[in-house]
Amino acid sequence: MSSSREAITFRANVQKALRDPMLREAIKRATDTFVTKRTEGIASLPMEEWREKASTIRMKVLDNLPQYVEQFCASAERAGAKVYQAVDAESARRTVAGILEDRGVKKVVKAKSMVTEEIHLNPCLQERGIDVLETDLGEYIVQLAAEAPSHILAPAIHKTREQIGKLFAEKLGVDYSDDPTVLTRVARNVLRTEFLTADAGITGAPFAVADTGSLVIFTNEGNGRMVTTVPRLHVAVLTIEKLLPSVTDLPSFVRLLPRSATGQMLSSYVSVITGPRKPGDFTGADELHIVLLDNGRWEILKGEYREILKCIRCSACLNVCPVYRAIGGHAYDSTYPGPMGIVLTALLEGMERAHPVLDATTLCGACVDACPVKVPLVRLLCRLREASVEEGFAPLLEKRGMSAYGAVVSSPVMFAFGQTLARIFWPFAQKLSGYGPMSRIPRPVARAFRRRML
Amino acid sequence: MRIQFFSTCLVDTFFPETGEAALRLLRRFGVEVAYPKEQTCCGKPPHSGGYTHEARKAAEHFLSVFDGADPIVIPSGSCASMIKNHYPELFKDNPRLLEKARKTAERTYELTQFLVHVLNAHEAGLKGTGRITYHASCQLTRELSVKEEPLLLLNSLQGAEFVSLPHADRCCGFGGIFMARQPEISVALAEEKAATIRNTNADTVTGCDHGCLMNIHDALRRRGDNVAVKHIAQVLAEGL
Amino acid sequence: MNNDRVVSLFMENATKCGAETFRAAGLDEAQRLLDDLLRNAKSIFCPGVGEKERALVIPPEKREEDYREASVCVEEVFGAVAETGSIVCSSEGGRVVQAGLLPPHHVAIVPQERIYETVEDLFALWGQDIPTNVTLETGPSRTADIELTLTIGVHGPERLTIIVAP
Repeated sequence: MSSSREAITFRANVQKALRDPMLREAIKRATDTFVTKRTEGIASLPMEEWREKASTIRMKVLDNLPQYVEQFCASAERAGAKVYQAVDAESARRTVAGILEDRGVKKVVKAKSMVTEEIHLNPCLQERGIDVLETDLGEYIVQLAAEAPSHILAPAIHKTREQIGKLFAEKLGVDYSDDPTVLTRVARNVLRTEFLTADAGITGAPFAVADTGSLVIFTNEGNGRMVTTVPRLHVAVLTIEKLLPSVTDLPSFVRLLPRSATGQMLSSYVSVITGPRKPGDFTGADELHIVLLDNGRWEILKGEYREILKCIRCSACLNVCPVYRAIGGHAYDSTYPGPMGIVLTALLEGMERAHPVLDATTLCGACVDACPVKVPLVRLLCRLREASVEEGFAPLLEKRGMSAYGAVVSSPVMFAFGQTLARIFWPFAQKLSGYGPMSRIPRPVARAFRRRML
Repeated sequence: MRIQFFSTCLVDTFFPETGEAALRLLRRFGVEVAYPKEQTCCGKPPHSGGYTHEARKAAEHFLSVFDGADPIVIPSGSCASMIKNHYPELFKDNPRLLEKARKTAERTYELTQFLVHVLNAHEAGLKGTGRITYHASCQLTRELSVKEEPLLLLNSLQGAEFVSLPHADRCCGFGGIFMARQPEISVALAEEKAATIRNTNADTVTGCDHGCLMNIHDALRRRGDNVAVKHIAQVLAEGL
Repeated sequence: MNNDRVVSLFMENATKCGAETFRAAGLDEAQRLLDDLLRNAKSIFCPGVGEKERALVIPPEKREEDYREASVCVEEVFGAVAETGSIVCSSEGGRVVQAGLLPPHHVAIVPQERIYETVEDLFALWGQDIPTNVTLETGPSRTADIELTLTIGVHGPERLTIIVAP
């Protein structure tokens, strides 16, 4: 995945994805399962009430972010953590690398963290001779395959069990098996050794609590707990908008995130970590370093798209999105795919790179209904399309078409004339169109409805 | 009672029989239908692509043509939603037009909304035939919250069998400008919808929006499927 | 909700999430349950921090001092939350929270009087003075990362047994 200004080749990526029946089947099965489980999981809940409450708390954070950042830094430091503020990806990478190199770290185990993908942390550390191992099973699989994750919760859902079996056999030298239980056991055994010999653990944090300076980590596998309690050093990277005001706000989100993500009552493990090990403790890393990252958030906060920062990364919008369901995550060629991904990518990477991916929506609104914190995704996507046109990224033919539309729409006579022209030229337009809309729309009728009303 | 009828550009250009069916339906309930001759388009096509300037032009024209106080009835969820939900936003910087947009939005109805809430058409013993299934369009369902009305009407048809479509409110892939910008995904989604329709063994699929119906019709015919694709106005008017 | 109903709710939810749950009327019964559970265990780690766990007897020949090598961890945890069916492991009082994470079988003794109805009730105990590590453990470890097929037993324990004791 490139972070250059070159535009994402979305159409080409889409065509490739649509020609891959195995991929399409895998994505459909996965998203349908997520949606079914989520629907079951929230059926008996006062979801509207929970969403409204969560949205209010998240807006409160965004409206007072400088104060909460300051409070978090003070609380976390009082609890014994070291807090660093990084303005961008480069600075965050340098900070993390510096912490690790200063302590002679040679091997790092990582729990899943989308922000570390966003800043391309792994390649940076690997260049400096530090071994970085992903421990979330899905992340471990895509790391072995040298691919990017395709979904923010289940990184390897684009792969079939057979593909994973072959991958393990090839890269780990084990006998081929496509039984998920066997494959999971292989990963458990391999990674157990790594957990026990790693010098440091790196995580993100879905939430951080301002009044206690705590980080909150959710996993089902236990790897989040492993990497934060077994190695002597824990480095956490998170972006500023992940803060919650108080530990009293935590229960609402501890309930909401797993339910919205997978329909589960709770993830198997939820850890609230407040500082490193203290005198009298037998649990916790010796040192806890927290890198609080901006990477464009302050800028977004100032503008009309600020509500995207309410996002808690549950992936519900991805799972209900008909476009994501059809093409999978890789087609977006971005850290974050799906509806929230389109918005974040446009804001973080700029219109020049991101404008093709604004096409990846029918504006159906399923994401708006699903979002547990009421991010107004359709409104944000519409506004981004507007901005894209304003900034000159509209396709030429389309722009011409819209200008023609604009020229006739205020005049019924011109409009009717346009209808007649369209009828005359339809057969030619159809021939040129291939799969384009011309071939799928019928020919304009000889006597338009307006003529029948005269 | 009198209403103003907005046919929509799709009905006007491609599906005039839907306009005719809607008129027959409304007149059956004693409604006097006025057709402002200068109507063109509501502005949804440019709006969905981010062409605010063109959308505003269309909207301004609509507001001036549909002057007055009578209800405006529209055989399309996306057009009705454009007027009710998006016109105010288009004119947020123009107090005079904003006021006009708000007032116009208040008296705008999607067809099934009007049939059920104003005319009680679902209790009129309308007649129908065959096995009918229903696709729930996105803006109709999610922006206008029109979910029950079409079902009430279809279920009331005496002589017809209504069969529920699994994932009825899953997007068909039309998306207005989406069909032009991402035709491959549009076709993929339409084919998925067509397959679900096929599995119901319905002989007719209906809906409230011609954009969707056009897209679905194409996917069905590509596979040689003969399922009839009809706007709900036509289905309801057939038994009159 | 009175304690008895809270305990029942906890056990019901914990079972739903894949834990084996038992309720002991007293330490005698807890010991019997433990003996049954540990009959075929190879090596057992017991931190010996909690009062109840110290009162229970673990076969000395199977004792393992290193939780990284043990096949079972038997420990008294801090408490539990009924609403979610979770046991609560806290670093307070010198507990070794990660000891329950590494062995494939985690046997958790839950003090009946510290089963809280909601997550709010739990966090209200500490307010802002929260221990270094508070972990809610709900069922055994799991993943669905391969074709969304549920597999039990990943990095954490594949078996969680809960004994609620007074």
